[in-house]
Amino acid sequence: MKFNDVFVVDDDKVFHFIIKKLLMNNGIDVNPAFFENGLLAIERLKKKLENGESTPDLILLDINMPILDGWQFLEEFKRIKNKLEKDIIIYIVSSSDDKADKSKAKTFEDEVKNYYLKPMTAEDLRTIFAV
Amino acid sequence: MLRKPYDEKAKDISGVFFKKLVSKIPDLIFQLSLSPNGELSSPFFNKAVIQYFELSRNELRNFDLSQRIIEDDFLELLHSLQNLPDNTTVWCHEFRAFLPTKGLRWFKAAANVEVDQFSYTSLFGRLSDITEEKQREIELKISEERFQFAMEASSNGVWDIDMVTDKVFYSAQSMKMLELEAMDIVDGHARWDDLIHPDDLAEYQNQFQLHLDNKIPFYENAKRMLTKSGNYKWILSRGKIIKRDENGNALRIIGTDIDITHQKEEEKKLVQSLQIIGEQNSRLLNFAHIVSHNLNSHTGNFKMLLDLIDEENDEQTTKEVLGYLRTSSNALNQTIEHLKELVDINTQMVHKKENLNLNMYLNKVLDILNNDISKNKVKIFNKIPKECYIDFNPSYLESILLNFTTNAIKYSHPERVPEIMYNHYLENGKVVLEIQDNGLGIDLARHGDKLFGMYKTFHKNENARGIGLFITKNQIESMGGSVTVDSKTNKGTTFKIYFNNEI
Repeated sequence: MKFNDVFVVDDDKVFHFIIKKLLMNNGIDVNPAFFENGLLAIERLKKKLENGESTPDLILLDINMPILDGWQFLEEFKRIKNKLEKDIIIYIVSSSDDKADKSKAKTFEDEVKNYYLKPMTAEDLRTIFAV
Repeated sequence: MLRKPYDEKAKDISGVFFKKLVSKIPDLIFQLSLSPNGELSSPFFNKAVIQYFELSRNELRNFDLSQRIIEDDFLELLHSLQNLPDNTTVWCHEFRAFLPTKGLRWFKAAANVEVDQFSYTSLFGRLSDITEEKQREIELKISEERFQFAMEASSNGVWDIDMVTDKVFYSAQSMKMLELEAMDIVDGHARWDDLIHPDDLAEYQNQFQLHLDNKIPFYENAKRMLTKSGNYKWILSRGKIIKRDENGNALRIIGTDIDITHQKEEEKKLVQSLQIIGEQNSRLLNFAHIVSHNLNSHTGNFKMLLDLIDEENDEQTTKEVLGYLRTSSNALNQTIEHLKELVDINTQMVHKKENLNLNMYLNKVLDILNNDISKNKVKIFNKIPKECYIDFNPSYLESILLNFTTNAIKYSHPERVPEIMYNHYLENGKVVLEIQDNGLGIDLARHGDKLFGMYKTFHKNENARGIGLFITKNQIESMGGSVTVDSKTNKGTTFKIYFNNEI
């Protein structure tokens, strides 16, 4: 599957840099939009819907973020999901190895495709982008 | 005209007849005679007396009542006869006698009194053995004394309500529990009920009614009652209706009161300890997750950045990656600092507590923040009394005041003059410090559960680090206190810090 439009939602700017580099190094031709928290990402998504712009195909979502965390983003996302013209695949990418987080992710099985534990490897990215 | 009742012979016959008759009566019949100079003689006893008093023939010959009667009792009896008031017609006296086989017995003598023209007093009457009655009386007295003693020795009080007249008796202990004196009149049990804590009244009345309606075999209820000094005590009352009328309506109810304030306090302490232990446990668990998550996120970055250097050899990338390695390293250092701070708070078994003047510490903090306060034109309202002391760790107190005040300034509302109000009062015997601002407020419905969590920030503020409230909460709890928050978005936030100072 080819992903043209990708959101990376993570408060860690170092992670933004790493993702950019990993994508480039692995020949994945995507230029993601980076967001530092869930609120910025959901607002952009809503705006895109309002303006009739195309929505992303894929979101890499962190859990622990300020203002609106990953879970809250997912709650908000659920509310606007039915307005989407195409499905968005969401992967959680978190440093949390906590069982509670992993089982919570399962409660969003309609929204979240998989849970990746950081550090993210080139292999992980290749799997996600099916390169 | 009255007819002469009988001639002399007839009188003799009737005398013999009566003597025979009297001798057949099983009752103990006697006649006593007291001479004007106080000498007592006993001209007549029926056979029953002789048998009952176990008198032998020999003894009978020179029969003297005093032989069988306990000496002290006989003297008393004699004294009573010698001092009969004038015109007495009836004489009653109790005495003890020691009988050869029956042993010690109690008797009651009841007789009619007649005084003849020579001032001889004659008494005709009967004796009754009242030993069993006396025994019962003594046993009752002992039991009453025992009960009285038990009541006085124990802390239990007793009450007795006459439901018909609404008259009520409260034992001295019941009164003492509420610090009332015997002269504090509690007329009617409604007056007593007035002393019940309003929150406990409904349950008490409900229990009482259930018993009145015969739905429960007795009534039992623990409630807070107001003492004379204005404090509440926990009183456990148990009661039972002991008399109902034919329609089942209660006529009389008796019960006990027990002061269980001490137990209740211990219970409360136990619950608090369990709560603290539970909180500590969950803090430790939370801490373990924080350590795992935060260290993982930094080490993850290191690994990913180093992988990048491995993959790419160009100088530009290496330089860039090194810059990010530095950022990550700094962040890791800061995380470790925070974790160290938390470990210090949470693992120190004994925290040094001092008696601190709250106002003095607040002024010190306000001094430190003077620049921020004047720059942001913050209005400070300090309502803390000058002489308000709390037991707390000095550096924690400073850190807590600093953190709440900084937050209130940092998250002030851009459209109004920032105001911070510091208040102090007692709530359920605990010292409360209230810090209220008119700032941005926090959406508690959304963030309430993790407001005090680590690395949670809720405002679009670049300075938000998300560690302050977490540290603050840990510091307060490590001192045995607690903190609550009330907030409305765009209205402001109120934090309440409960100190563990029992008043």
